[in-house]
Amino acid sequence: MSDDTPPPETPPGDASPSNQQPAPHPVRAALPPLIESRILDEVTHGGQTWFIVRTPDQRAILEHLRFEQNFEFLKDITAIDFLGRDTIERFQVVYVLYRIPDKLNIRLHAWLPEEVESVPSVVDLWDSARWSERETHDMFGIVFDGNPDLRRLLMPEDFPAFPLLKDYPLKGRGERRQFPLVRPRGNEMVEDAPLPYPVSIGRGMHTPEYVEEVQRESKPRKK
Amino acid sequence: MNPNRGKSKAPDRRASAPLPSKRTLEKELSKGATGEHLKSVFQVEEEQDEEDSQRLIMNFGPQHPATHGTLRNIFTIEGETIVEADVEIGFLHTGFEKLAEHMTYQQWVTVTDRMNYLSAINNNVGYAVAVEELLGIEVPPRCQALRVIMSELSRIGDHVLCVGLQAMDLGAFSVMLWAFEKREMVYDIIEAVCGARLTTSWTRVGGIMRDVPPNFADEVYRFLELFPPLHAEIHYMLKTNRIFKDRVQGVGVVDTETALSWGLSGPIGRASGVDLDVRRDKPYLGYDQYNFEVPIQDSGDSWARYLQRMDEIEQSLEIIRQAMATLPSGPVVHEDFKTSLPKKQAVYTDMESLIHHFKLVMLGHGIRPEEGASIYSSTEAPCGELGFFVVSDGSDTPLRIRIRPPSFYNYAIFPRLVEGGMISDSVAILSSFHVIAGELDR
Repeated sequence: MSDDTPPPETPPGDASPSNQQPAPHPVRAALPPLIESRILDEVTHGGQTWFIVRTPDQRAILEHLRFEQNFEFLKDITAIDFLGRDTIERFQVVYVLYRIPDKLNIRLHAWLPEEVESVPSVVDLWDSARWSERETHDMFGIVFDGNPDLRRLLMPEDFPAFPLLKDYPLKGRGERRQFPLVRPRGNEMVEDAPLPYPVSIGRGMHTPEYVEEVQRESKPRKK
Repeated sequence: MNPNRGKSKAPDRRASAPLPSKRTLEKELSKGATGEHLKSVFQVEEEQDEEDSQRLIMNFGPQHPATHGTLRNIFTIEGETIVEADVEIGFLHTGFEKLAEHMTYQQWVTVTDRMNYLSAINNNVGYAVAVEELLGIEVPPRCQALRVIMSELSRIGDHVLCVGLQAMDLGAFSVMLWAFEKREMVYDIIEAVCGARLTTSWTRVGGIMRDVPPNFADEVYRFLELFPPLHAEIHYMLKTNRIFKDRVQGVGVVDTETALSWGLSGPIGRASGVDLDVRRDKPYLGYDQYNFEVPIQDSGDSWARYLQRMDEIEQSLEIIRQAMATLPSGPVVHEDFKTSLPKKQAVYTDMESLIHHFKLVMLGHGIRPEEGASIYSSTEAPCGELGFFVVSDGSDTPLRIRIRPPSFYNYAIFPRLVEGGMISDSVAILSSFHVIAGELDR
């Protein structure tokens, strides 16, 4: 993004026109003042409202919303990576909540600095957080403190990277070549040599030395 | 059933070996243990061995006909009882969310129908609605009505297939064949409308691909005439079937509190008494014009989920009837061609349209929502609530698109449900959950 934007004190949601806040949102008004003061900003766009906080603070707000304000449905947890953009921190963890009686949707965006990699988990408040936190961990490497089962969910267990980070290339870093190839031989499973890597897939994102090495390795063997 | 059937030969990470006797012996001897003490150590080890030897780790999937998709369930069984269950997903993970960050808003429509391949239209519509909400545009009434009709047709096809597969897994094979025959009528209409059967890519941001063919109304009315008796036939076949009822009643019970906490939505949530339906609660595409009920069950077992789907088919038929009766005429694409593609014919003959088309299609131009805007938009897909969380950075590609797949949340509770039950019950539960692997892994 452009470099001449004002200092990164304001989150990007400020671009929204309805930022004058004539009256606070009813959900925000019902929060106790000690918790309410942690909310950095309140943004409305397209009829939806979201609150912006800093990372450890969302736990207290979510607890209050769950037990005092009766938000019994956690729709989703996810994260956004703002790498290379003028934001106060790199990540945002997003919680989408729903209250059934008055059909109210609320979102909570929590800023997460790059160097702090753990976020308080909410599995004790909603069970649906179990898998969504697992997936967010799998895709962004964010650790949810208190989640009892934070294994990788969609990617293989030994996958070395977190694919939804903005600095991870779309075509990968050639991890598929690194996987050991296990084949049944007789009654045993034997680890085989890795497959020759198709260079055309990786061209343009590897160093020339790497491509050369791969080409050398993938030459047809003499019989 | 042969106990070795389905038993995997591959080493499993959960198969932790019991304590090796030799090492234990050496350790104890090095400590200077003798006589009675050593005997008691071996006693404990033998008991441990005996307990472990009765347990068997069984892989149910990823290539099992009853999983209907690439799901791996790891069951630790004792005889026929599942004592511990774990699932492994991600076999069909294709990185749709990563792809979205490298494609324009119009291009990504084609990716959405690869998610739930049984009701691709619902995914297309859900995504189009999400981007339109982000842009703040409203599509013309004819487009809205057509989207509703096609979504409901697709929902009927999905539900009837699910019921058929549920019955097939429990032994009623003919029901599956009937269901496939009925679903074919839905696919004929979908093919007539957009040229494809499964990967439809029918919607565009701001409208639909093209208006429906002239015989569309006849085809839909024919479907509305032919389908209800066949629906009643399937229902009669199953609801009076002693074997089917014995297999599904009281199996996989989810109470309302649990369903809410685990985020179950759609027919599975409503079968457990979660009174949620996006079509009624947050009407999109003019669903508030139609008069329909949201059926709800309270028992929360596989039987309730079957009844729920059959009831929902009736309501969908009702919505289609009303929408066909009031189908307006007019354009099917939003008038503002800054955000929606003009007609192809106009692009060839009209300078203005050509410019609009060029600006929308070229990389680096395209649709540009306002910077920092984000929306969580949800629609009611056949499996449950399908949500799209779209964040814009002011360019023509989204900063992030997150899909809330209904199958993902529905399947998370599955290991909890099967623990303590029989292997055959797990089939009855899984088939009633109707998990689509493409949507689960994305």
